[in-house]
Amino acid sequence: MSALQQYALLLGLAVGTIGLAVSLYGISRTFGKPRQEEGKDVPATAGRPSRDPVWARYHIRYYGYALLFLAFDMEMAYMYPWAVVYRELGLVALLDMGVFLAILFLGLLYGWSQGALGRQ
Amino acid sequence: MTTVLIILALLVGAYLVAVLEGWVSTGRFRPAAPVLSGVALLGRESLVPRKPDRIFFEVGPVLLLVSAVLAAAVLPLSPGLIITDLATGALFVNAALAYVMVALLMAGWGPDGAYAMVGGFRFLGQLVGYSMPIVMTIVGVAMRAESLVTTQIVESQATLPNAVYQPVGFVVFFVAAMSVCFLPPFDLPTAPGELAGGVTAEYTGWRLAVMRLARAVLVVTLAASVTVFYLGGWNGPVLPPWAWTAAKTLAVAAVMLVAGRHVPRLREEHLLAWYWKIAIPLALLNILYVGIVLIAGSSSSMSM
Repeated sequence: MSALQQYALLLGLAVGTIGLAVSLYGISRTFGKPRQEEGKDVPATAGRPSRDPVWARYHIRYYGYALLFLAFDMEMAYMYPWAVVYRELGLVALLDMGVFLAILFLGLLYGWSQGALGRQ
Repeated sequence: MTTVLIILALLVGAYLVAVLEGWVSTGRFRPAAPVLSGVALLGRESLVPRKPDRIFFEVGPVLLLVSAVLAAAVLPLSPGLIITDLATGALFVNAALAYVMVALLMAGWGPDGAYAMVGGFRFLGQLVGYSMPIVMTIVGVAMRAESLVTTQIVESQATLPNAVYQPVGFVVFFVAAMSVCFLPPFDLPTAPGELAGGVTAEYTGWRLAVMRLARAVLVVTLAASVTVFYLGGWNGPVLPPWAWTAAKTLAVAAVMLVAGRHVPRLREEHLLAWYWKIAIPLALLNILYVGIVLIAGSSSSMSM
């Protein structure tokens, strides 16, 4: 199978899965539809409507990790092709990536020492 | 044909995981329970909260199911039994599983409910923790196999499974895999007893049925990926290859479900701190270790 066919198959699988969910909806719909009653559609908030709006701005207290995550995530994009050819290239590959990884690892340690690994 | 077989295997696996999860959490073995509760959920009303983000609310559970199924599509059951033997298989597993976070965040944001919202944002934080260990340990596996194709990764473990070859990577990957399918003690987004169900709090009826199915399929997928990447997949004596993969996958799923029952739920703060201070350095050292072992192995075979 060519790569295009493989991705077409995966797309078909995704569509089929959505089809399964839709058909489950269809089956449940044959049993009847939800009755409209007052107070039934309030989100669960301990028995009364929530006082504050839920869709508000939040302080994401793990943003220090999130920034480090971005750096590491970019690095991993380079790691995969490197991992595949690693055995062919041998020691050169180890040294190349070793320097790259050492810099990132030092970055992690520096972030740690500056308190980035904690709730902000 | 293979596609149908794999889908059937996934469904059977999801059913077994549901039975097992019920057994572990209630202490009663009820083999009919998943089917009965599934039919019952279809017969119930599926309410929509009063001011939802309708698209996010509807897409969340379905996207969770789609991402679990797509990740399972590149994992082999036996040499020929795989939906697509993608050239970038190991990377595709990561790509598909990234949408687990998107799905749960959608399910948290969509219903405009406080508990759901907290659950969704907690899982976003959980992804920041577990994602890097998963990616890095798979790099160690790919280095040994010289390939990202999942069938070649299994073949590379014919002599020695990766769980023995790189035990540190195995432990880190196993724990991170438990976090992906939010099993206890990593069940921060649902957190029963604390968040009233979290991201699942506002889902009822058929939507909840889809979400529970998705969760069970996700557990099977992650157990299968542990099997393929670390336990040697279909390699094993006597039994046919597919039976080995199935047995290992079920065993991993059982360990995942049972292990967390004896540990208290982690706090988000501790989860992130431990992933970044322990698991990520360990995963990086694992890459270095595999690199040195591979070079030492190839140079010693050359000198002989």
